[in-house]
Amino acid sequence: MGQLTKAHLVEGAAWSLIVVVFFGYSFEFNQSIEIYKFGATGWPRVILLLLLLVTAGNFYYQFRHGSAIQKGRVGIAETDESETDYSDPATLLKVAGVLLTPFIFAYLLKPVGMYSGAPVFIALVIYLFGERRWKWILGITLLIYAILLGLFVVVLNAPLPQGNVSPFYDFSGFILKMNTNLQNLW
Amino acid sequence: MVEKFLAGSAALFGDPITIAIFVFGVIGGMLFGAIPGVSMLTLAAILLPFTADLDPAQGVMLFAVIYCTGTYGGAITAILFNIPGAPENAPTAFDGYPMTRQGKSGKAVGAAVLCSAIGGVASALVMMAATEPLANWAIRNIGPPEIFALVFFGLAVASSVGGRTIWKGWMSVLLGLLIATIGQDPVGGINRYNFGFTDLAAGIAFVPAILGFFAVSEIFVQAEKKATGQYDAPKVGMSFPSVLELWAHKFAVVRSILVGFFCGILPGIGATLAAFMGYGEAVRWSKNKEEFGKGKLEGVISSETANNAATGAAMIPLLALGLPGGALTAMMVAVFQMHDLEPGPLVFYNSPELIWIVFAAMFYANLSILFIGLIETKTILYLLKIPFQFLAPLILLLATIGAYISRGLVLDVMVMFGAGIIGFLLRRTGYSIPGIVLGLILGKIGEQNFAQGMQMVHYDMITYFSRPICTILIIAGTLTLAAGVYRAFSSPKEAG
Repeated sequence: MGQLTKAHLVEGAAWSLIVVVFFGYSFEFNQSIEIYKFGATGWPRVILLLLLLVTAGNFYYQFRHGSAIQKGRVGIAETDESETDYSDPATLLKVAGVLLTPFIFAYLLKPVGMYSGAPVFIALVIYLFGERRWKWILGITLLIYAILLGLFVVVLNAPLPQGNVSPFYDFSGFILKMNTNLQNLW
Repeated sequence: MVEKFLAGSAALFGDPITIAIFVFGVIGGMLFGAIPGVSMLTLAAILLPFTADLDPAQGVMLFAVIYCTGTYGGAITAILFNIPGAPENAPTAFDGYPMTRQGKSGKAVGAAVLCSAIGGVASALVMMAATEPLANWAIRNIGPPEIFALVFFGLAVASSVGGRTIWKGWMSVLLGLLIATIGQDPVGGINRYNFGFTDLAAGIAFVPAILGFFAVSEIFVQAEKKATGQYDAPKVGMSFPSVLELWAHKFAVVRSILVGFFCGILPGIGATLAAFMGYGEAVRWSKNKEEFGKGKLEGVISSETANNAATGAAMIPLLALGLPGGALTAMMVAVFQMHDLEPGPLVFYNSPELIWIVFAAMFYANLSILFIGLIETKTILYLLKIPFQFLAPLILLLATIGAYISRGLVLDVMVMFGAGIIGFLLRRTGYSIPGIVLGLILGKIGEQNFAQGMQMVHYDMITYFSRPICTILIIAGTLTLAAGVYRAFSSPKEAG
């Protein structure tokens, strides 16, 4: 097995899977183009072939040298090389929470909208980042929400998702009506 | 030229509304560039509909000013938070962020202010003097084969920086190229890899992808550090670089101006490749290559000079040929079209006053970077004092708005957070995020120009290589890749 670890095997398998899935899906649009010899699949398939070759090269490198940094590389930030200990399930839960919360927020943007969803999202992220003083959570949430409304709604009139489910949609309508009234003042 | 410049300046500063728009553009570009999570593109996307009510010269000038000051502003977030405001600031983070970790944020930001201004002013001067002859040269000598060759060379250079190994550098670039194939193919308009989502037919918009790979993944990295108790707040350093320190890098500045201007003038390439090549050339010519990426001032100087040097040059293909060099210049085409104008050679004859107001505004905007930038810098450095648990939700929320606003699609927000998770996982395993982003940006341009180039030379490689610029760039790119292969089989460091 050389210097290979389980993580290297998973990494190699993930890249190979990407190549297989994208190559397989390329048959869905395998059409010729009259004015272009290589068709719609030529370019992506060359990329996939190169990716497969480079994945093999990466695997060979890891077999020989493990995760060691190659000589002469530049522009590698120190944060990129951190090895984190996930033996404690609480750590894993915390990180999973941070990774999933924005995704759930994005998923709920359509039904709930930005105006109703944002304060909950802000408070949740502050909590997940380790803040436990509820007064601070509340205060900073209100401050960020005020910045959001002031800059993007009042000053820039940016169109933000309003939601399509009551009462969230009604709340968005209320905020926008308030903004219109405010704009009419000047 | 001087008379035209003075006439442009008089038109710019002779009307209070035009002055107000100029000042708004300068401050707005800097602020949106410097706020982590949003960028000059967010501001430009929001402002685009409002430009219909402005005079054409005011509308185009506003976007040109935002382009100059926003390109500088993006360096601030790259240096302070490892979150480049725009892709052209990505190489700035390579050395700028390690400098912040070492308590030298003031030096890095100070160098970025000065070099952005120098690069931008030099570029604006050359732009004014040489737009017409350079446009004529470009029309005769630069075609799709040359642009493809330059993309090839640029990607070869980009793969040599950022990843833990050359293999990971290449994999990052190839992943970016693969993501760029999602959407319609540039020749026949055939849908590729939409996986059943109709919204994906338009492809992956690069604003959400960039926000995800840079801003969101950085938040996730910091969250992981917080969760595991490894978080170490960056140190605030207020000392600016001395004149001697900057003077020591005069050759790097001149080299980056040349690289930036050359890249900027080529249609479709823009400031991103300029920054990468400026950084790559700094590494190539340095005697202490190993110090790059660990907080070397020259890295910040090279990248920031090159990307701002490209802003003036990017106006040349836009104004002379009607070809945008990046996302913001593409929006400028939209501003022209809103006013029933078409950017191209005729603009020089039909609307010379518009051209010279824009040129003058870009010149003064770059000068403003120097004066307002130095005043603003000390205030912005205090952002580092805000606890990260309070900054993170603000960045995530601004990024959400930035991703949503350009196309009004919730899918783009999902793409952004998806890119954030992928970026987080890839960074932990030593891949290059800037490499992915450059592949994503240049992928479509490369494919389109490859296809057009092949059609032009009737698929005959001898005809292709009979074009000297193509031959030089392809050989240079191949040599860069060959050097990478050689190094790939040499012994690695002991670090693991």
